[in-house]
Amino acid sequence: MPRGKSTFSGWQGTVLVAITYVHFLIFAQFAFLKRMASLGIADAHLKAVMAAMAFGGILFSLLVPRVWKSVSPHACLRLGLLVSSVAAFSTLLPLTLAASFVVAFVIGVGLAVVTVTIVTFLPVWTGGRDSLFKVALGTGLGYFLCNFPPLFTASPEAQAITAGVLCLVGIVVTLAPAPEPGAQSTPEPREPIPFVLVLIGFTALVWLDSAAFFIIQNSAALKAVTWQGSLHLWMNGTLHLWAALAAAFLLRRRGLSFTLAAAFCALAAACLLLLDPRPSLLASIFYPIGVSLYSVALVAYPSLLAPSASAGERGRRAGWLYAVAGWIGSAMGIGMGQNLGHVPAAFIVAAGLGVLSPLLIQLFRHRRREVVLTVLLAIVALYLDRGPLSVKAHPALSQVERGRKVYISEGCIHCHSQYVRPNSPDVLMWGPVESIADLRAQHPPLIGNRRQGPDLTQVGLRRSPLWLKAHFCNPAEVSGSSIMPTFCFLFNDSRGDDLVAYLASLHGQGSDQHIAEISHWQPSQDAWTHADAALGERIYHQRCATCHASDGQTRLAWESGFKRLPPDLATGPYFRLSPADAAGARLQRLARITKFGIPGTDMPGHEYLSDHDITSVAVWLSQIIAQPTQQQ
Amino acid sequence: MLTRDDIAAPCDKSLAVVSAAWHGLFWLVFANGVGTLLAVLLLVPALNPILGEWTYGRWIMVHMNIMLYGWTSLPLVGFLFRVYGADRGAVAPWCRPILWVWSAALAVGVCSWLSGHSSGKLFLDWSGYARVFFPVALAALWLLLLAALVRNRNHASNAHLATKAAKLAGLFILAMVPFLLYHSAGPDFYPAVNPDTGGPTGASQLESSLGIVAVMLVLPFGLAHRNPASRRILLTAWFVLIAESVLCVMLGTSDISHRVPAQYLSLGTLLVWLPLMPAYYCAFAWHPETRRWRGAFLWWWSALVVTGWIFFLPGVLDRFKFTDGLVGHSFVAMAGFTSSLIIFVSIQLLGQHGWIFNRSRSFYAWNLSVIAYILIMTVAGWREGFDPAFTIVPGPARNLLYSLRLVTGILMLLASLDWLVDASTVLRRPSSQFTHQAQEKAA
Repeated sequence: MPRGKSTFSGWQGTVLVAITYVHFLIFAQFAFLKRMASLGIADAHLKAVMAAMAFGGILFSLLVPRVWKSVSPHACLRLGLLVSSVAAFSTLLPLTLAASFVVAFVIGVGLAVVTVTIVTFLPVWTGGRDSLFKVALGTGLGYFLCNFPPLFTASPEAQAITAGVLCLVGIVVTLAPAPEPGAQSTPEPREPIPFVLVLIGFTALVWLDSAAFFIIQNSAALKAVTWQGSLHLWMNGTLHLWAALAAAFLLRRRGLSFTLAAAFCALAAACLLLLDPRPSLLASIFYPIGVSLYSVALVAYPSLLAPSASAGERGRRAGWLYAVAGWIGSAMGIGMGQNLGHVPAAFIVAAGLGVLSPLLIQLFRHRRREVVLTVLLAIVALYLDRGPLSVKAHPALSQVERGRKVYISEGCIHCHSQYVRPNSPDVLMWGPVESIADLRAQHPPLIGNRRQGPDLTQVGLRRSPLWLKAHFCNPAEVSGSSIMPTFCFLFNDSRGDDLVAYLASLHGQGSDQHIAEISHWQPSQDAWTHADAALGERIYHQRCATCHASDGQTRLAWESGFKRLPPDLATGPYFRLSPADAAGARLQRLARITKFGIPGTDMPGHEYLSDHDITSVAVWLSQIIAQPTQQQ
Repeated sequence: MLTRDDIAAPCDKSLAVVSAAWHGLFWLVFANGVGTLLAVLLLVPALNPILGEWTYGRWIMVHMNIMLYGWTSLPLVGFLFRVYGADRGAVAPWCRPILWVWSAALAVGVCSWLSGHSSGKLFLDWSGYARVFFPVALAALWLLLLAALVRNRNHASNAHLATKAAKLAGLFILAMVPFLLYHSAGPDFYPAVNPDTGGPTGASQLESSLGIVAVMLVLPFGLAHRNPASRRILLTAWFVLIAESVLCVMLGTSDISHRVPAQYLSLGTLLVWLPLMPAYYCAFAWHPETRRWRGAFLWWWSALVVTGWIFFLPGVLDRFKFTDGLVGHSFVAMAGFTSSLIIFVSIQLLGQHGWIFNRSRSFYAWNLSVIAYILIMTVAGWREGFDPAFTIVPGPARNLLYSLRLVTGILMLLASLDWLVDASTVLRRPSSQFTHQAQEKAA
């Protein structure tokens, strides 16, 4: 056989799998629903219509394997594709409710006939070589096309026409010469997995997939960050394609149970991430990976992965797989999305047990000693933790003590020290110094070993509770280009306020003396000489305008929380500038306020900025600030 | 202590030792992956929100603890298996279950740290259930070693009374570790503080360094055969260790400044190990496969001793404390010295399977990346020492240095991945081969 012909032999299988996926995903799952909505069919009527589709799908998934004795697989597939095509085109008509029932039933029938026939007789269309890869490529291309932006965003009519035409193309493909049978290259032989466990695993995965898909598509916030815009669609499509190809590799090298376990991990991660809209961008990465991993396995299982069996047995398995996992699993997932709006963590655990059971059984069989000892010692540790070593119940902790625990839990010591080194520049910036005795009174001391941010030993002296809270919620907004992550989630419960109370409590002996010392601070003369108003303006816009401009983001977000609204520096009033001050004294005062803030107010300092930065800000401010009046 | 038979066939291939190396490498790859994530977050803080509650502070606990209790510990568990003979005979099938328990305890630790459970103490971040489970894993290992010693009491490797006594003493010390770990993770224990920096005192630095020296002096006895005519160097090394330990005890455990001459001068006594340690290791016969990593480990040891002392000197420590400079120095300790020591020990234990660590690409990728990382962090720390805003307010220079650091982190991740893949290849061999070899060895 010529090399080229050998390479492309079996392309029919790839095309047919891709067509089936496009028809199912973009038409049956998507366009048909939108079409029903445009026809005014909703709520209970829509559920009934979808039930008719599921009924057709389940019924014919179980019936089709019985007709192959009298009809050839080719004829059966052509008939299924024709029915699917007719069903797709018929949705373009102005359907009544009754007609919608019929069309939905026919869609289910067509899909059942096509899917069960293809997966049962895969080698007929993929040929003998690299069948797994061809199936993966077909699955990946199917998903990729569905996420192709012009198709995904097209009208339901255009999507239905595309699906109908593709089914007709599928019929033509089946008329092409059959590929060379060749030697079947199957994955490495592994321990057979009981069919019932496979069925449970696929059902759980389809359930998770359908629930996650429904939740995303019906939540504007989630959809915005996962499935809207060309970039998302291209990313989803590409991830689907690569994950499908990875599935072929995994199925060949690591087997079905490992691949399904990987698919579960990805889907479970997606479902858990969808519980919180903020990290849902990550969900849009895990979701397509999980879906493509199991989708390839779902197509390949009856013919390529299950132990060798007769066509009849393969067909019966395929029928049950698509009836139970495909149709019922999908319906249950959509129901969960509709009724709960999220996938409960307990369900994810249960689904995990279902999907991972073959792997767990294998693991237990081959690593019994390891599993037993690990579980046994885990139980012993649990007993010790809850029994002899259990921590005695503390008296109720104060808010500050609870806040200290939050400080420890969040690993704040890895970026913030709590140690002002005596006789060092630390003292001016973050002082006063804490005594060793005070340090040792803490259990444990929280000195830290690395500063990615300021020292916090005396932060209560320098920052108000409002500033701390605003900074936790949006550090970059409050503090220029801060690299600190947002800790807004702490304010969903009491942790945030506890932490703020703890930090606000951090000011010890010597505070008054320290305030007195900084009130006499002056930048170096050299810094005044080289002050750069343009640099000052940049720093002002980065760090000050958020509170001191009338449209500053922090000012607007926390307006009611300020002890006194920060003055708009373009207009005043300037509470801390005296009209009696000479120009030099005024500059010094502006520099001091910029550097150390105003203790006892919401005005923070910028202690770590250099003298040059501080004088530059002061010079620029002095240029824009009108002369204060007596009234101000 | 190895027998002459063992030395004749130092390339042991037992399943237990390969498994221990594999578990260690698995956690190394994991910790390096986390380290890379952390480097990315420092460079692109806008990515933080997608991590939800698993913020930078929680991940850094994972990174540091997994490096210590996973990567640098598990290969040494393999060493203990070998020394106590747990990798042969009836107790051998229990080695892998012990590794599983250890890794399970680490996995529980990871979940615990990511869930926001911490003791607030660096490298002792065990809290709640994880604080109990990990010591239980240590205790299980101890029981296995005890069982192995009892079963092998008449084995040729235990023929000498001194050997038996040394192993019993080792078991006695190891028996205390789970309790010490549990206790020191509590909030009421905190080591001496240098009042001028908030860091460790010279005495406590000397104490921990001597602990490492002691481990380094003990290791060769469990790994290799001693060369004849090496008695003098061995005696010298142990005498110096004892003398320095006495000095350390005399320094006391009070909170004392690094500016006190007795502190930095006593820490300077560690410099004596610059010539002594290489000479000590020359006194043993090593597997030829270890040559490259033995050289690397001794080189990193020298770098650690010298930079450790310089970084402690008055003026230098004041500049670098709390900066990236000390992060770089900790890298000399962990990624440079400890990692190369662990790999060297692993190669000696693995024998002919030591090739997994000996690919040139991973050797140079790892060591050159570590050197580059340390230089980058030293430069960043030097700048930061002058100007704290260098880190707190990111600018182009800081971002450039952190980008370079990210590149070195990725290279280290790839090198560790290379080792893990090769170790998996060795481990995937049918277990009957290992069993057969172990049986041959036991016979």
